Amino acid sequence: MPTIRILTAVPICDGHDSAINTINLEFVRHGIEVVYLGYNRSARDIVRAAVQEDVVAIGVSSYNGGHVEFFEEVLDRLDQLRLKPMIRLFGGGGGTITRDDARIMSARGVHRIFFAGTPLAETLAYLRATYSDVVQPPYAPSFMGTDQMLSRELTLAERDSAGEKTAPEQVPMGSKPGRKAKVIGVTGPGGAGKTTLIDELTYRFLRSRPADQRVAILSHDPSMVGSGALLGDRATIIYSQDDRVFMRSLATRGQAGGLSPSTRRCLEILRRSEQFQIILVETIGTGQEAIPFGMEGLPVDHAVLVMPPDYGSRLQLQKIAMIDSADAIVVNKSDSQGSRTAFAEIEDRMRFNQNSQMLLRTQANRHRDPGVDQLFQKIFGGG
Amino acid sequence: MSSLSQVIVAVEKHRRSGSEQVQRARTDHEFAERVLQRWQEAKQKIGAAMTPTGLRLPRLALPDLDEVGEIARFLWDEGLPGEFPFLTSAYAEQYLDPASGEPTPHVGNGEKTGSEEPTRLFAGFGLAEDTNARFHYLSRNQRSQRLSTAFDGPTLYGVGAGAEGVFGKIGEGGVAIDTVEDMERLYAGFALDQPDVSVSMTISGPAPILLAMYVAAAKHRFGPDVSVKLRGTIQADVLKEVQAQNELIFPIEPSLRFLADMVDYCSQQMPRWYPISISGYHIAEAGATPVQQAAYTLSNGFAYVDYFLNRGMDVSVFGPRLSFFLDCGLDIEYVALSRICRKIWAIGMRDAFGADKRSQILKLHTQTSGRSLIAADWPNNLTRTALELMLACMNGTNSCHSNSADEPFTTPSEEYARYAAHAQAILLEESGLFKHMMNTLQGSPGMKAVGNAVEKAILEEFRAIEQQGGVVGAVERRYQRSQIQAAAHQLERQIYGGIRPVIGLNRYHDPDANWPEVQMIRTPKEKKQLQQDRLQDFEKRHAGEHLQSLDRLSRVVEQGGNVFGELTDTVEHCSLGQITKRLCEVVGKFRPMV
Repeated sequence: MPTIRILTAVPICDGHDSAINTINLEFVRHGIEVVYLGYNRSARDIVRAAVQEDVVAIGVSSYNGGHVEFFEEVLDRLDQLRLKPMIRLFGGGGGTITRDDARIMSARGVHRIFFAGTPLAETLAYLRATYSDVVQPPYAPSFMGTDQMLSRELTLAERDSAGEKTAPEQVPMGSKPGRKAKVIGVTGPGGAGKTTLIDELTYRFLRSRPADQRVAILSHDPSMVGSGALLGDRATIIYSQDDRVFMRSLATRGQAGGLSPSTRRCLEILRRSEQFQIILVETIGTGQEAIPFGMEGLPVDHAVLVMPPDYGSRLQLQKIAMIDSADAIVVNKSDSQGSRTAFAEIEDRMRFNQNSQMLLRTQANRHRDPGVDQLFQKIFGGG
Repeated sequence: MSSLSQVIVAVEKHRRSGSEQVQRARTDHEFAERVLQRWQEAKQKIGAAMTPTGLRLPRLALPDLDEVGEIARFLWDEGLPGEFPFLTSAYAEQYLDPASGEPTPHVGNGEKTGSEEPTRLFAGFGLAEDTNARFHYLSRNQRSQRLSTAFDGPTLYGVGAGAEGVFGKIGEGGVAIDTVEDMERLYAGFALDQPDVSVSMTISGPAPILLAMYVAAAKHRFGPDVSVKLRGTIQADVLKEVQAQNELIFPIEPSLRFLADMVDYCSQQMPRWYPISISGYHIAEAGATPVQQAAYTLSNGFAYVDYFLNRGMDVSVFGPRLSFFLDCGLDIEYVALSRICRKIWAIGMRDAFGADKRSQILKLHTQTSGRSLIAADWPNNLTRTALELMLACMNGTNSCHSNSADEPFTTPSEEYARYAAHAQAILLEESGLFKHMMNTLQGSPGMKAVGNAVEKAILEEFRAIEQQGGVVGAVERRYQRSQIQAAAHQLERQIYGGIRPVIGLNRYHDPDANWPEVQMIRTPKEKKQLQQDRLQDFEKRHAGEHLQSLDRLSRVVEQGGNVFGELTDTVEHCSLGQITKRLCEVVGKFRPMV
């Protein structure tokens, strides 16, 4: 049975995420992969994410009113992409969504509304019964060049890598090997600020490059035991919620090392699509021994290691394998205590390496951080 | 040592010193004399109250103690009302029923308007004139007008009614305010320059912009010198937004700076305004335990003090401007939670920050728990709110908001908003529980036991926060968020597992019950359109000056001037959405945490 992948979000101008957080956790505990878009998200952002993540359903948790209009806008946008029957919309809002509202919403195409007091088990049973065996066939060639076709190719590749029932000929591939895209791998321990850094780099890309240039992000999150995963990177990005950005979240599904069993094929598909100038691959938070990129891992044009200043002792530093093979090492959170020491220690540690490596200091969570500017110039090749 | 660590040490020292006081009173005659003298004086000051049935009671009940050690212990641990560590109450007098004419307060107190009812009238829906009409309706029989305002989503997020995709949200769950003209409409007909009118605004992300609009609107009506007379509170709690409520607009650092500018300005020029309400309410509503609520709120408060001090502000100037806002639910912790908060704040402010008495007092607004109200058999919510209200008054809250029973469904209807306000009147005016004797239900052994346990647990949480790098460090590491989320998850599992009884939901659930229909308050499309039209019209009329005005604001931000001062001028020409957009370009956007 294929893994159920859904998207959850809280509508625009609404920060009530307590219910959805609890529901996400329950879903993940029961084997579902949840791409969580976060709160205060527009219908445009939600539908874009649903397309790029190729989910079978969107769950919206609304507590701030205006749900009739909001759900309708999500449906309209799905309809414009001819996705309305394929991606279903369900949701809830405690007592704020009345039975009368729900009747109007369901007449407009909302698949299911959960009322106040619905046990978590009931929501879970609904997901299982409705989405366990949704067929996601390849798109017709007339969809060539669209995000939804690309996204479906990634889905088929992911299912195929997981040994799910997908005949090899059903996995479409671009015709020619693409050469245009520059692939940048970003790795580092959890909490180093990888996602923030990627969002900031993307922001600079969007501002400085012509409007027809796009960037792709292949982001990873760990699967829990029992195969569910909370794919939450989309929730913390702000500038990458843009039509010029194609982002896909992959769960590791049991593979060690920071990437997913299908990363290689997905990257190839993105590359061959020839739609992107830059493809960023972000690993999960990695351990000391991980070498996700390079000769022993995924081939990339630049491997970036993001380090927090609080990695522990100098001895710990000796054990971090990526320091030897990364093209650029970034000491992020340069405002926090110990960042100078970290910078000096890593610099010292790098002296033993043969190849030429870059060492940079960033504070990605600061607006217009010059360190990130510098990294952007060096890695994205300016422009 | 960090300030929070100093607070922990000081609270523990205060607890230990209790027994030293007892020993000293029993062994040191001179000290014992002083203790006894103070005790006698306190007793003599207590006024008398006469009940309608002719019973004569003391206005304040003190324990029957005749042993000097025990008296010393009481004075040290509990203190007298309005005296350190303020366990009984923040001020010497509270909950007086002015209609009775009796009794006389036992200690004079120049700080507070004694005759004011603690009731805050909360409203916010539709457009400014709709909320304005509700304010007039709710306050028509009140002695004082204490208006509390809820804003809609587009206002809370600072985007305004003109932003893409927000049409459905205009005027839902709160009032839509985009311009200084909306702000004038919102409080039209209220004498904002009078001491018996106070206004509270529940908004944090764009708080400085909204308060600037309020000041500008008041100036239009009452002249340029009105600022000194304006009385009220604005929430403006940046840290709890990051931890729980998710309505922050700018990154943490610039948000704190804009807040400090506003606090600084108010401390100098708006002596009757409370420019921050340090809020646990939303932390608790997000699912935190009562102890988490108290610990995060207090530690946030201490973090603000640290931040303001680092900016060179004077604690004796800004300290008395800080106020607090807590949730009150039905868990047993609430029997003593607020009084313990008052104590920890007082000790922390005195011993870790050297603050004077006015800054030691935790001024508290309480709201009954919205989360505890449920849709199933919802008239039960009247009972829940009434009990919570009583717990809040037992803890000596200075002002109070009781929720409407229909809150799980909608913005309060007129009918249930009235019942909610009347619940307070029934408790404080009709019932004899509080109006004759100010501390009738305080100080029981049970209350003390709960308080001790709560105090210990709060200090434990402080230690955990310290281990995560202090308040701001812990915030950045998502510590408080993840703790709150874990508690929320556990709470839901307990409810669905039946471990936590919720009447009408998992106990005494009647599948055939017919609950009364709720009258839903919704903002019609035409009104939403009207708000957009008004906004467009305002922006068109000010198209000439608005860019200049925004450029001036940018310069003040970049050059480190007082942003709030500038905003009081910016709002004359620019809408909320325009200002927010410009500020985001200059300082960036808040990156959400999940």
